[in-house]
Amino acid sequence: MAGPAHPDAMAPSKPGKTRTAPPQMPASWWSHPRIRTYLAFDATGIVYLLLGLVALRVVWALGAGPEVWDATIASLSNPLYILFHVIGLVSVLFVGVRFFGFFPKAQPPRIGPAKPPPQPVILAGLYAAWLGVTLLFAAILGGWIF
Amino acid sequence: MGEPTKTFVITRFDPDKDEVPKTQEYEIPVEADWKVLDAINFIKDEVDPSISHRWSCRMAVCGSCGMMVDGEPKLTCKTALSDYGDRVTVEPLANFPIVRDLVTELEGFMEKFQRVKPWVIRAKEDAGAADSKPPMNDKGTFVQSPAELAEFKQFSMCINCMLCYAACPVVANEAEFLGPAAIALGHRYNLDSRDQGQDERNEIFRDEGTVFSCSFANECSEVCPKNVDPAAAVNQAKFGAVIDWATSLVLPRASAGRRGEQGGK
Repeated sequence: MAGPAHPDAMAPSKPGKTRTAPPQMPASWWSHPRIRTYLAFDATGIVYLLLGLVALRVVWALGAGPEVWDATIASLSNPLYILFHVIGLVSVLFVGVRFFGFFPKAQPPRIGPAKPPPQPVILAGLYAAWLGVTLLFAAILGGWIF
Repeated sequence: MGEPTKTFVITRFDPDKDEVPKTQEYEIPVEADWKVLDAINFIKDEVDPSISHRWSCRMAVCGSCGMMVDGEPKLTCKTALSDYGDRVTVEPLANFPIVRDLVTELEGFMEKFQRVKPWVIRAKEDAGAADSKPPMNDKGTFVQSPAELAEFKQFSMCINCMLCYAACPVVANEAEFLGPAAIALGHRYNLDSRDQGQDERNEIFRDEGTVFSCSFANECSEVCPKNVDPAAAVNQAKFGAVIDWATSLVLPRASAGRRGEQGGK
């Protein structure tokens, strides 16, 4: 076993007559490929937090005058910033694909009389919506609309 | 050539002597068609009768023989020994208190089970009424169509083997978490057309340490030997609990026994 789990994990509310050894986590917990994928999925939250801070910095620069704005935008072309945004893009793609893969089975068999569409249709709808929102933002940021 | 052998590294714990669990190795001859349980039974019968482990049906129905095999929760009666190398580690199910050797404490699991009210709940005013919904037949039992059965049948196939609890990272870190099998069972009754206890269970599902503690690691479904897909049940239950809460804001509730909208008739 790798180490202790929560000492009260799966423990009864009243201790039994026999002394028990505390619960353990399996030895392969960290090294198992599925668990690594899950941990990577959760760790992307840190990337989103940092992306949010960068966005806040840009918004702050917007209100701080043209010179500050130009300097901030220029700083985003730093290779480290570009690398960070590539990591952000990979994180978003990874989380999107994993989340969309799980999404259909999380739908209830029906809500009142209404049944959800077949799983492939749900998946196609999710990817179409994702693509649509991405294109919309690209169009706004590219200056093609608004 | 001698007969093939494998070495089994087995967790040992005697509550009267040991402070913490330790391991003991056994090298035994193995047959090509053995399951892991066959090897453990061989060790107990022929090498060391002091080993404690649970098993019963030997056909993946009773759910007794769940153990960690090379770090992964497995029903040992269903796990082919040929899939493993010359050295196989067998441990008690992770995330459970260890009673002795490969035997774990089950009482905490049973308490979690009872919390979700895993039985058909009927509203008192509806009990025995001639116009009950769904209708009763002349034998006094409720009529249920194959389509209504299909909505929850998958979640009723659980054999309570507890592999999902051993695999779940939330169970390992959050002692209050109801866990996959218990939530799947509660959700199974929420989807049952004969049941009227959805409001009661959804109230439990909205408590701390229940469905919203699940981070959708999906490990429970990966290790489930009966393809119950508890992760689907837990996340459908999240949806149901939210819908139930939202409808309760705008629709009056006559009693706790009434069913909500999601999955109900």
